[in-house]
Amino acid sequence: MLIAFENPLNESALAFPILECFHILGFAMTLGTIALVDFRLLGFGLRQNAGELAKVLAPWTLFGLITVLLSGPLLFSSDPDMYYLNISFQIKMVLLVLAIVFHYTIRRKLLRGELSPGLNKPVACISLVLWSSIIFAGIFIAFVVTPGQ
Amino acid sequence: MSALEFAQWLQSTDWATYLRSSAYTYPSILASHLTGIALFAGAILVTDLRLLGVIMRNQPVSEVIGQLRWPKRIGLLVVATCGILLASSKAEEYYYNTFFRIKLTLLVLVAVHALVFRSSVYNNARALDQARRMPGKAKLAAALSLLLWISIACAGRGIGYIEPPLDKLHAALTSLRATAEPR
Repeated sequence: MLIAFENPLNESALAFPILECFHILGFAMTLGTIALVDFRLLGFGLRQNAGELAKVLAPWTLFGLITVLLSGPLLFSSDPDMYYLNISFQIKMVLLVLAIVFHYTIRRKLLRGELSPGLNKPVACISLVLWSSIIFAGIFIAFVVTPGQ
Repeated sequence: MSALEFAQWLQSTDWATYLRSSAYTYPSILASHLTGIALFAGAILVTDLRLLGVIMRNQPVSEVIGQLRWPKRIGLLVVATCGILLASSKAEEYYYNTFFRIKLTLLVLVAVHALVFRSSVYNNARALDQARRMPGKAKLAAALSLLLWISIACAGRGIGYIEPPLDKLHAALTSLRATAEPR
């Protein structure tokens, strides 16, 4: 049975752009605070102890991440078929899962001093590449051709 | 040369034309612009939160500001370079774009902000280290900085939602010129 259902998001022309602003500000906060710790691991920028720095910035990273994870699915709901079939969106979701898992497992362990400091730089590089590639995949959603669209 | 003529010339250059119609270069520069924004935002956020006394209270203000100076500069360089490339590829469209004008105005306000607060706050961090309580002026600078950059990000997103009907504008201009010419 088909249920006629209109997403209230699609009724206002302003809803999508406003949500996108939250999405952008959220990921800027997430990647921005993560990058400051990664830069620290690479020996650039802030000089306080990397583990302490990570602890100070963790709530801000999480706040950004929650904003992104709330606004993202709402944006998705405006046109699920398009997103679902979009290759760039699919890649983005895989990268997002990888980035979050990496962040809260290996990278967290490293920052707690449970891994060899020799891994500082590789972990920082992987983290930076993972999170920024999510932005690239996100932008390309609008630029790749979705089958059937 | 008027601003509109400059914008038209810029948009018609070979590389602007290439950029506008490229399948991968334009989105890649746009994505770099956003990645730069995130890196820049991190440095701005931490500087301003420190000035507001929200985080890193045990770290001297001068050290936080000083250590973040270069990450901030590099972030801004990436953002500005990509931003200028993106804007020039659609310069004539953006000339008519309200959000683009708002964004430029806000960027002028950033320069004003720097002029007003540089000597008393950002280049005066050592004195702030000594202060028993963070002066109101430093907190004001931090709050305004956050407000300005958040508004700039939102205005930037708004630009993409306006597509001035260039064809119609051009047709209107042509007919205007035709009627203005003496018969």
